[in-house]
Amino acid sequence: MKQFVIIGNSAAGIAAIEAIRNKDKESRITVISDEDYPSYCRCLISYYLAAEIDEGKILYRPLDFYKENKIDLLLNKRVIHVEPKKNYIVCDDKSKLSYDTLLIATGAKPKFPQGIKGIKKTNVFGFRTIKDTKDILGQLPVTKSACVLGGGLIGLKAAYALKKRNIEVKVIIKSRQVLSQMLDFEAANIVQRRLEDNGIEIILGQDVTEIIGNGDIKAVKLDSGKVFGCSMVIVGKGVQPNVDLVKDTDIKVNEGIIVDNRLQTNIPNIYAAGDVCESFDLTKKSYSINALWPVAVEQGKMAGRNMAGDSLNYDGSLGMNSIEFFGLPVVSLGIYKIKEPGAHIEELKLSNTKENIYKKIILMDNIIIGAIFVGDIRNSGVFLRLIREKIDVSSIKDRLCHENFGYPDIIDLLKDKECIYV
Amino acid sequence: MDEFKEKSIDLATQEMLKKAQDENIKTAWDRLELQQPQCGFGQLGLCCTVCNMGPCRIDPFGEGPQSGVCGANADTIAARNLARKIAAGASAHSDHGRDVAHTLSLLADGHTHDYEILDVEKFRDLASEFGINIDKPKEQIAKELSKRLLEEFGKQDGELVFCKRAPKKRQNIWKSLNITPRGIDREAVELLHTTNMGVDNDYKNIINTGMRCALSDGWGGSMVATDVQDIILGSPKPVRGKVNLGVLKEDYVNIVVHGHEPILSEMAVKASMDPELVNLARRAGAQGINLAGICCTANEVLMRHGIPIAGNFLQQELAIITGAVEVMMVDVQCIMPALHEIASCFHTKLITTNPKARFPGVIHVEFEPKHAYEVAKQIIKTGIENFSNRNKERVNIPKQEMDLVAGFTKEIVFQILGGRYRATYKPLNEAIISGRLRGLAGVVGCNNPKQTHDYFHTTLVKELIKNDVLVLQTGCSAIACAKQGLLIPEAAREYAGKGLQEICEAVGIPPVLHLGSCVDNSRILTAASYIIAEGGLGEDLSDIPAAGAAPEWMSEKAITIGFYFVASGVYTVFGASPFATLGSKNLSDYLTGQLEEVVGAKFEFCDDPLKMAHLMINHIDNKRKALKLKPVMY
Amino acid sequence: MKQLYYDVDKCLGCKSCEIACAVGHSATKDLFKALKEERVSLPRKKVMHTRGKNYPVSCRHCKDPKCVDACMAGALSYDKEKGIVLHDETRCVGCWMCVMVCPYGAIRPNIKTRIPLRCDKCKDKDEPDCVKACPTGAVIWQEEVEIKL
Repeated sequence: MKQFVIIGNSAAGIAAIEAIRNKDKESRITVISDEDYPSYCRCLISYYLAAEIDEGKILYRPLDFYKENKIDLLLNKRVIHVEPKKNYIVCDDKSKLSYDTLLIATGAKPKFPQGIKGIKKTNVFGFRTIKDTKDILGQLPVTKSACVLGGGLIGLKAAYALKKRNIEVKVIIKSRQVLSQMLDFEAANIVQRRLEDNGIEIILGQDVTEIIGNGDIKAVKLDSGKVFGCSMVIVGKGVQPNVDLVKDTDIKVNEGIIVDNRLQTNIPNIYAAGDVCESFDLTKKSYSINALWPVAVEQGKMAGRNMAGDSLNYDGSLGMNSIEFFGLPVVSLGIYKIKEPGAHIEELKLSNTKENIYKKIILMDNIIIGAIFVGDIRNSGVFLRLIREKIDVSSIKDRLCHENFGYPDIIDLLKDKECIYV
Repeated sequence: MDEFKEKSIDLATQEMLKKAQDENIKTAWDRLELQQPQCGFGQLGLCCTVCNMGPCRIDPFGEGPQSGVCGANADTIAARNLARKIAAGASAHSDHGRDVAHTLSLLADGHTHDYEILDVEKFRDLASEFGINIDKPKEQIAKELSKRLLEEFGKQDGELVFCKRAPKKRQNIWKSLNITPRGIDREAVELLHTTNMGVDNDYKNIINTGMRCALSDGWGGSMVATDVQDIILGSPKPVRGKVNLGVLKEDYVNIVVHGHEPILSEMAVKASMDPELVNLARRAGAQGINLAGICCTANEVLMRHGIPIAGNFLQQELAIITGAVEVMMVDVQCIMPALHEIASCFHTKLITTNPKARFPGVIHVEFEPKHAYEVAKQIIKTGIENFSNRNKERVNIPKQEMDLVAGFTKEIVFQILGGRYRATYKPLNEAIISGRLRGLAGVVGCNNPKQTHDYFHTTLVKELIKNDVLVLQTGCSAIACAKQGLLIPEAAREYAGKGLQEICEAVGIPPVLHLGSCVDNSRILTAASYIIAEGGLGEDLSDIPAAGAAPEWMSEKAITIGFYFVASGVYTVFGASPFATLGSKNLSDYLTGQLEEVVGAKFEFCDDPLKMAHLMINHIDNKRKALKLKPVMY
Repeated sequence: MKQLYYDVDKCLGCKSCEIACAVGHSATKDLFKALKEERVSLPRKKVMHTRGKNYPVSCRHCKDPKCVDACMAGALSYDKEKGIVLHDETRCVGCWMCVMVCPYGAIRPNIKTRIPLRCDKCKDKDEPDCVKACPTGAVIWQEEVEIKL
């Protein structure tokens, strides 16, 4: 009987478990997590912080999930070392566990830029885990104002949640726009206006150099010299993959653990999936980390199936983000900003400032490689499909930005004809 | 039989529906089922087919388009659709009135000898109303009167003569709103004009124009029809009659008249009594000729001659399905196209008589007032000749027939409620003032297979009379209640409240008064005006403790009637589905709310008969309070 | 398992299916009353129009649903027995991940209620409401067809 070991109990881990169990009900599966909590929906912590959901709703799977699927769950244990030559892993309590096949789904941890003085103070929080959230919640009663560092999804979601809790929030962003990792300038402006209209202060083009305070936080200092008073700092300046456990091994690591189109590392019986891995990005056509929940689930599923004996091909990951702020929905797919224009690149745009609707589609050689939707996100899934299946859209280019563009427009272009319309 | 109980509370109808099912004949109920689901956009009034840039739809859920191609929004589209229905309904009634006025003019010119001036007193009164000097020979007066009446249709300015019957206060309200009808045809034309693409976009203004057109019917076309019919066919007097399919007789030649214009059915009545024809019938093996009616024409001949009524609107197919009808002669309005197919399942001959209402492939015997009696005789003869073709095996006449008393007009109310010696409305007013009568209700209108046939009418009326409300009825509604035995004096003892009972017993009337056909709704308007003139109950029609209802309505004519009642100040409740206006919140709210501030009355929509009764009773009580009347006696 | 198919030649684009769907999912189940409800029910499917023809679009209840994978709240799940993708409104946070990944665009965001609109094959009824509602019989309810045309 095989022994599967899965390091990580979140999106990729659970997807892998379910994929394996779909095929293989007998083999042993052990899941190790360094958190002290059963699998939960990481992306929901901002809603929890905002008091829009209560703790009961944050579980990703019912508590009996592990028992039902015959999983050995080891919580509150961190794997510190993987030994690929001997097929075992070592935990922080010095225990060892052997495996036949291993999945590394350790995720990533928030970056705390060491250049910022005072970054190690208490009440400087990352915003990744439920523990982070509970710690922040604990401080709320004595917090009047907070600063959020970073204008990415984590930073803005944290700011939104704090605002909902009636904390005065300032978001300090180095870039000249919010959401620089998923939106272009125009789209970002629409989002920024919506945030500001709802009382969240956005400061662009500045970075925090120092967090000031003796013991408790009193203020932050920006590189312009300006000082803002606050008693809490949340850092949303990106995540870095948890690859310490494969240090000093032969497992190929760049920024993340490199995986091939089977989600396999360079070691045949070791797989990786989720925020920890670096895979082929089919829009960028290069290796990249796409630390996103749906990507993690996809990769975990694929890895799990291959671990269980299938031989499935993973086309690659791509950026895909969906968020809503104060009634303004935003979706970003693939390549959202062209760095250098080229002969093969085309941009289609639709902008309706009155109704806060913005659509942009980026094509290369008549194949969609990216899209942004603000305000009206209907049918974005069809675009995701066009990107994934690399469909030549030259015959429907004029329909793409149309309000009523949808699945029926592409049925003739699909490689595998589907039977829906007779 | 249970499935039929849901379709109708009338046993005769249930029986015939079963017969239809057994013989595989489809009726309106079956066709309604096949139509399900009926289009939601249509039901909400959000479909516009006015111009060729469409057809357009407004999304009732707010996601899709909120305006048509021309830019019309839900309010405009729903209001225009409603306006067209008002115009259509008004046209039907007014055209009927025109035909009657035309008959008077033929009579005056000596072109027809089958009619004469029967109610001379009313004739003179009407002539005086038009300012005609009555110190002249009858023929002269008739010529002038018919000319003036026909002029009402083509008038361009001024106001319709009958408007002066309304209380001064009401006339002033119309004037201030610019809705005093100027000419009967003009108002329909103008209303239709405003509903064209790119004319009126203001839903309140459209309703205003709609009210004016409706008034040109109520105080115009319909009133002409009623009054001239009384003149040349005789004013109705209280008469006993019988109602329901059981009036058809197995051993008689059964002739059914169906439609609306009594200038035809009156001749049929006469012809059915012609000794030559009766003999012919006997020789054909029948005991005689049995004439019965369906719908409004039935009401007309009932009111004047006590002719039995075979049934109301939804029973028209069922009459043929009894297998015992030799001829069904029809003229205009409410005649189902399905009759042709159903008649061809039996020996029944369907005969059309009016060039405005033809059926492909059906015998047409054109009825002209000039040869009225001859034509009627010819049709009856066809019936007699058809008697031998009856398939006795397929005959099944339900036993149900009920007695009723009908024949109440505004003049009768004068006379009978005034007691024998004084023709006046005083006793009626006093009954209301003293609280013996809570108030009045007009319950009118059609049938609709969307609801249990006759159930709403009868339940509503029973609840009203239980609460001492005297109910005035017309049309198919009256027939529905008659079938359940509410139109006989004995019904007072069984169903009426104490106060109403006392009056009915004292005067010898039923608690529910049958005033005639749908054009005879104009009698209610005139009676209401007399009530105000008599005094003690306010100065305007909207002061009277009264309410109107059309519980099972189907026809556009019902919408028009509703509008002329509301425009005249009478709170009117509609049952079944509301007007197709719910797609426009503004319009619906206006009709059921703000309209009251404009004309002193509004619409209400209610789908439960008991609730509706209490809406009306509440309204009546409020009016009593406003008049500072004594509380209701019992 | 039965699925919804559409005969494009018969679809008139009348949208009776949309209305029936919305009313069928309302509290009062009556067109006139449904419009007055506090939370007005919206149609779960949409009739789209392109190239001169009408194409109703509704959730395909895929066997390997992308929306279930993408749901970051675990609100979507696939019921193998019934062959339906189920949505638990109580867990949903309105993140619109499902809208983003549906290959048919069959999920629409309802910004007001923050609940996605998607067909549930009228799971508590014998037959989806849209089937009966279609006046031309363009909505077909029959056993799943496994073919690739």
